[in-house]
Amino acid sequence: MIEDRAAVGPEPSDPEPEQQEAQRPPGPARYRWYVLAAVVVALFALPLFRPMISSYNYVLTLGALILMWVAMSSSWNILGGFAGYISLGHSVFMGVGGYVAGVLLYYHGISPFLTAPLGGLAAVALGFLAGFITLRTRGPAFIISTIALLFMFLLMTDNFEYLGGAAGLPLPALPLSQEWLRVPFYYAMLLIALGAIWTAYRVAHSKFGMGLRAIAEDEVKAEVAGVPTRLYKISAFAISAFWVGVAGAIYGYSIAFVRPTVFFTIAISAQMVLMAIIGGKGTVAGPVVGAVLIYAINELSLVAFGATEFNIVIQGTMLVAVLLFFPLGIVGTLRKMNRLPAFLNWD
Amino acid sequence: MPILEITDVSAGYGSGPDILRGLSLEVEEAKSYCIIGPNGAGKSTLFKVIAGLLHPRTGNVVFRGESLARRRPDQVLATGVCFVPQDQALFPEMSVRENLIMGAYLVKDRSLVKERLARVYEMFPILSERAGQDAGKLSGGQQQMLAMGRALMIDPILLMLDEPTLGLAPQIAQQIFSQVEQLKSMGLTVVIIEQNAQRGLELADWGVVLDLGIVRFEGPSEGILEDPRIRELYLGKAASTGETR
Repeated sequence: MIEDRAAVGPEPSDPEPEQQEAQRPPGPARYRWYVLAAVVVALFALPLFRPMISSYNYVLTLGALILMWVAMSSSWNILGGFAGYISLGHSVFMGVGGYVAGVLLYYHGISPFLTAPLGGLAAVALGFLAGFITLRTRGPAFIISTIALLFMFLLMTDNFEYLGGAAGLPLPALPLSQEWLRVPFYYAMLLIALGAIWTAYRVAHSKFGMGLRAIAEDEVKAEVAGVPTRLYKISAFAISAFWVGVAGAIYGYSIAFVRPTVFFTIAISAQMVLMAIIGGKGTVAGPVVGAVLIYAINELSLVAFGATEFNIVIQGTMLVAVLLFFPLGIVGTLRKMNRLPAFLNWD
Repeated sequence: MPILEITDVSAGYGSGPDILRGLSLEVEEAKSYCIIGPNGAGKSTLFKVIAGLLHPRTGNVVFRGESLARRRPDQVLATGVCFVPQDQALFPEMSVRENLIMGAYLVKDRSLVKERLARVYEMFPILSERAGQDAGKLSGGQQQMLAMGRALMIDPILLMLDEPTLGLAPQIAQQIFSQVEQLKSMGLTVVIIEQNAQRGLELADWGVVLDLGIVRFEGPSEGILEDPRIRELYLGKAASTGETR
């Protein structure tokens, strides 16, 4: 049963057993977790169907990338969606995770599969520090300050010899045969995506999440109500950095190098924002829907039209259409209209 | 023994002139007060100063022996002083229930929150019926009830209501007055700014007339209502006949 968002805040819902039965959502809503469990099982089972998939490595690579975007967009949503602070510098955390794991592999031979959480923690530390400074501002000034953070890291890594400068660091490939090479990355990204969704879900259904939503609605009112707005904003920034950092660590290993231009570009941050907005900023399922939709459409248009950059036209058209017909994003608008399929109602 | 002592408070916005100009007032526990006065007298500004939304330039605000003068709004709220502003300060995109829970954001004991929620629902049954609805979709009267209900979630000692019937139909306004009566009977100290001065003073034990940032008159409400100078200047009624102007 989906929890009442307010009930897991300061006020728990603990009805009597017979009331619980009466309150259980009717129809398909009762089965939403079964549907989601089936999807997760199918995702875990996907690599086992090797003989049935013709382009096995392509499918796994595509799957891993979609899952990475799901993780990053869901994480971004904690700050940008729940708290309403749009960051265009979140790819910094991806880069920090990538470089921490990359350096530990390049200089010390420790696998990023082991050090990826460290990359996430480094991103969290940077999130706290950056949040402490940038979250003194709001609105456009905050957006600009996050972009400045991004360029600062681009410049720093470009000129830091230890990190390989502009050329970056080449990373040794995973010692596996070509046919199995993509499997560990796929599973790693699947776990990261599940972790990011779980984190977003927990935040959305907590007192902390309610405070963030209050901040997004009106920061002054939230403060008057007793929400420690500054602490919450900084915490949201830091929490939203963790899975982006972990994803960056695994991504760097999967492409066998870390380089400033791979991570520290505004396009990656913008993509996270776009996915969350199209799916439904401020909802748990929105960034997941947005990431899958955008990446799938992008990939399909690449297959159909080749490297003509027509995919960008399609993406832009889609954004305009969504903003026209789904102003709150797909999930957000459908929820507002009470037409959201039960299995996507995670809020 | 007053629970709130406002002493020589001067306050204004930004670098603008003083709106409150050395205002002093005492509020006693479990009594109700109605503040009246012309536009620009400083009524809402006084509430903002007490609530910590505006810091006084000079003077002090002491609540139960503690100075509130430099405290943040959430710190003032934690002392039991609750302010319901004119715009009600609701979160329109949150549900009624979430808005009420936001009112008890500082309360850590979940069972206490639940208890207070039940009490508010009992007092305002319409809020219970609309618990899942967005606050922004409620009618004006319902929003006002929600604002009052939310204020009660913190279990305040002193409740300040800034024009709670502003813009409401007379019938709905009457409902709000009845709710304020109920709050009074619960032993709450209520300070109300009311555009309908006559009705506000009838409701309160004590009347306060503000003008140009100072307390011009104060006394028992009946006395204020009957004072010909106040009737003439602030209640819009002819002193001799008692007729509405």
